[in-house]
Amino acid sequence: MIRIAGLTKRVATSEGELTILNDVGLYIETGESVAIVGASGSGKSTLLGLMAGLDTATAGDIWLDGHKLSAMDEEQRALLRARTVGFVFQTFQLLPSLTALENVMLPIELKGDPGASAKARELIGRVGLADRWHHYPSQLSGGEQQRVAIARAFATRARVLFADEPTGNLDTATGGKVIDVLFGLNREFDTTLVLVTHDERLARKCGRIVKLAAGEIESEETAAVAAHA
Amino acid sequence: MPDAASSSPRNLLAVSWRLMWRDWRGGELRLLFLALVLAVTSVTGIALFTDRLERALLLESANMLAADRVMHTREPAPAEINAEAVRRGFRTAGTLSFTSMAFSDNGNMLVAAKAVTDEYPLRGEVITTLQPFTRGAPVTNGPPPGEVWLESRALPALGVQVGDPIFVGETELTVGAVIIAEPDRGQGGIVDNAGPRLMLHMDDVAATNVVQLGSRVSYRSLFSHDDFDQLDEFEQWVRDTFDGNYYIRDVREESEEVAEALDRAEGYLLLGSMFAVLLAGLAIALSARRYSERHYDYVAILKTLGCTSGRISAIYLLIQLKLAALAVLLGSMLGYLVHEGILRALRASLQVDLPPPGSEPFVVGAMTAFICLLSFALPPLLALRETPPLRVLRRDLTQTRFSDRVPYAFGIGGSIFLIFWYSQDLVLTSLLVVGVAGAGLILSLISLLFLTSSGSAGMKAGNAWKLAMTAVRRRRRQNVLQVMVFSATLMSLLILSLLRTDLIEDWQAQLPENTPNHFMMNITGSQVQGIEDFFSENQVDSNAFYPLISARVRTINGSEPDPESELGEEERGASLAENNRMEDTTTADAAPGSGAEAGAEGRRVRGRLSRRQVTWATDLPADNRVTAGDWWQENSRPGLVSVDEEYADWLDIEIGDMMEFEINQQFVSAEVANFRSVRWDNMQPNFFIIFSPGTIDHLGATFLSTVLLETEQKLVLNDLIRQFPTIVVVEVDALIEQIQNIIDQVTSAIELIFVLVLIAGALVLLACVSASLDERFHENAILRTLGAGRKLILTSLLIEFSFIGIVAGVIATLGAEAGLFYLQEQVFEQEFNLHYWVWLAGPILGAMIIAFLGVNSTRKVVNTSPLTVLRRVV
Repeated sequence: MIRIAGLTKRVATSEGELTILNDVGLYIETGESVAIVGASGSGKSTLLGLMAGLDTATAGDIWLDGHKLSAMDEEQRALLRARTVGFVFQTFQLLPSLTALENVMLPIELKGDPGASAKARELIGRVGLADRWHHYPSQLSGGEQQRVAIARAFATRARVLFADEPTGNLDTATGGKVIDVLFGLNREFDTTLVLVTHDERLARKCGRIVKLAAGEIESEETAAVAAHA
Repeated sequence: MPDAASSSPRNLLAVSWRLMWRDWRGGELRLLFLALVLAVTSVTGIALFTDRLERALLLESANMLAADRVMHTREPAPAEINAEAVRRGFRTAGTLSFTSMAFSDNGNMLVAAKAVTDEYPLRGEVITTLQPFTRGAPVTNGPPPGEVWLESRALPALGVQVGDPIFVGETELTVGAVIIAEPDRGQGGIVDNAGPRLMLHMDDVAATNVVQLGSRVSYRSLFSHDDFDQLDEFEQWVRDTFDGNYYIRDVREESEEVAEALDRAEGYLLLGSMFAVLLAGLAIALSARRYSERHYDYVAILKTLGCTSGRISAIYLLIQLKLAALAVLLGSMLGYLVHEGILRALRASLQVDLPPPGSEPFVVGAMTAFICLLSFALPPLLALRETPPLRVLRRDLTQTRFSDRVPYAFGIGGSIFLIFWYSQDLVLTSLLVVGVAGAGLILSLISLLFLTSSGSAGMKAGNAWKLAMTAVRRRRRQNVLQVMVFSATLMSLLILSLLRTDLIEDWQAQLPENTPNHFMMNITGSQVQGIEDFFSENQVDSNAFYPLISARVRTINGSEPDPESELGEEERGASLAENNRMEDTTTADAAPGSGAEAGAEGRRVRGRLSRRQVTWATDLPADNRVTAGDWWQENSRPGLVSVDEEYADWLDIEIGDMMEFEINQQFVSAEVANFRSVRWDNMQPNFFIIFSPGTIDHLGATFLSTVLLETEQKLVLNDLIRQFPTIVVVEVDALIEQIQNIIDQVTSAIELIFVLVLIAGALVLLACVSASLDERFHENAILRTLGAGRKLILTSLLIEFSFIGIVAGVIATLGAEAGLFYLQEQVFEQEFNLHYWVWLAGPILGAMIIAFLGVNSTRKVVNTSPLTVLRRVV
């Protein structure tokens, strides 16, 4: 599903050029769940952004669902994202002026699929917020917001789900519930899941854990408890 | 590859509708929409109002001529002019004025006779009745053949009633009606004003045998057409075809007072609507900017959800177009209601029948909305498409391709286009552009200077004052923009408000309530006392008597006068017409003091080296101002002369020059003691040349005086003329009343436009305050979580906004005075005086308005729980 080769990302800073990722190579199969872990500043989020086509690399290549991202412009990458990718963010990134239901409907509407409302309602129910669909993000708790974000991520039946610290802003108990919802839907829709996390418990739920250190892959291990298990 | 469904126009339209509705519900679009609606409302309202009012004023003013255009001639006009007018679809009529004696069995009197054709009047109505001095009813034509109509005063003087016969020249005619009002009564010179009116049919003129070859008569050809362009084209045709020998004039050329009032009103309306549009544009720009800033995250999320930049542009474009269309709809309706409401409110003072509104004002309003949107709102919104999707992971990322200044460039371009489109005046547009650019540069420098100070760090949250001052400095860049917007808005409002006051005061001073409305001329020195006694017996206040004598400039410092410039073609045309009129009216032997010279002579005839009426005086006449040299002392020596400054300029005269005059075949020399500025539009006796007492007193003069007679006092004139048969009375009461009417109407118009601009200004201020709300919310929420009290935050906000308000007020006052200086001196031809009270009021007003709006809008900052605020902005 995702293939990365020789991926390097450098940015210019006031103190010269800074290498965030250095010659990273990785292969993620369809349906696999991969956790990317590492200390702050190790390049996890940058790697996620590059894999999802939100940013461009300085060198190296990424193939997402068979498409070489470096050969595509932002417009083409956006279209690829529309068809292939779903996101869950640490800060939820719900649109504040939209209700929970409307936030979930948005990607379906953008795609032009019919029955956005019904599909969104169903998903809202699946994440346990059937009676909160008309609430605005500011009226929902962090955990509830994240569950809405997860429902949105699955709304267009994305083939790959990228999650950036999905439990980073949540307490342990709430985080636990969110993890259950995320992996439950992931299993059901057979989605490839790539998540960046500090949360050991979350990482252990994935099939594979990739550890980044100073912009390079330090280690890879298969989790004891695989997501598909 | 692109999903067909997702990028179909139908899907785009549907998505844009949904996003728009959700944005609207969330309050994101309200301010932008309000700004757009206001732009359309004010522009449509003002355009409708000005369009209708201008046409109404022109029609009303046309009543003063009884036509849209008029041509004066001393002989019947060439038939081909009339034929061409008819061919072009004009309505035409003719009048012939002459003075004549009217006789009855019981008396006789000098009357101002006017013969009219069947079609007279083309504009306005003649009001007649059957009993003198009663209210009349309008009729649309003049008298039929065989009849004469007389003004009230003539009936008792002749001892006749309606139905009685009178003689005019050699023919007997029947008094058919009493004239109470006549549309063009104020027009013409002495021929038309030297006695009560006697109106007869043109066909009866020949039988009177009064008009002979060489008689002093005045022909007026009247033309009327509903299409103003046709009128202009015809005017040009006459000028071209007859090589400037015949000249058709409109009311502006006929009456300087009306021309000035109309010109100034139009200037003010134009200025007002330009300010309204620019302010509304500013409000649009500010609210669009805020809207787009709040949408960075929105767009970043849309992009992660797979929305391409193209689709984002399309979605936002559609949202804006729909918003603009809705605003045009709502704004047009509101604009219509506003102008209708104003007209209703003004009905009492607007005595004009307004023509129905045309469609052009609505087009102007709609175009303005779209141009404002394109230039002010779209650039920041389109810049949204460049938002990097990575912003969902890193909030600090913003779009980088468009510079911050791009929207300003579009805005400035749009403004220039709008100004040019409105004014159709390249010079005014260029001046405004240079002025605004210069002012903007100076404003930003001054505001930066005011808001900059060194050595501050941190928030200094210890007390409200320090907190406010550090906030002012911390948000320096944003505040400079705010101060610029605030001061530009306050400046516009100050300019319009001061200009309005000055214009209205000027008009009131021009023709105050008690302006004398009758001129008496040809008074001999021995009659002066008698006339004064006559008025005091009749409880009428008499005014000063001015000696009048006809003089010609012979030499200046021993040389022939050498006027500086040749007359331009237009001026020559005007002079020709003026000559016709003047010579018709002067009847030099009978009335050495021409009424036109004394009162109605405008600037047009100045500069001709013809004979003119001069006077002598001990004191400087009211409304005159010495601009160089000194006015003479009470017992000064004879041989001094005072000259109108423009006349002096034209003849290249300097203080101390010796001028020689020919007066009654004698030569008199006098030294130029001073120059005066003369108010020519005040309908009072005015003179180019005034001698010091003792210089020309011995040369034999007649006297001129003025008197104010109310309608019910006019019968006194009969006794006056009976007692002093040689004097000539020129009645200008009808003219003054018409001018006062028109001035009242333009005053109302000006008041109204001011209110509309005031609303636009308030909205800009609100938009500008709102623009800074988000950051303040966040900052104050953090302060509150750190333990800052409500009072501290509110006080600091009050201080911060007041400070910004004072700075803006100071700058606005400076700018307004500079702007007014230019406008009054160059555009409105007024005298500029500094408005000292504004120097105090401007900053105080600025502080009060901005503090009120600012604190009121940010009150929520302290009334919302910090957690809610922080949650919202995370």
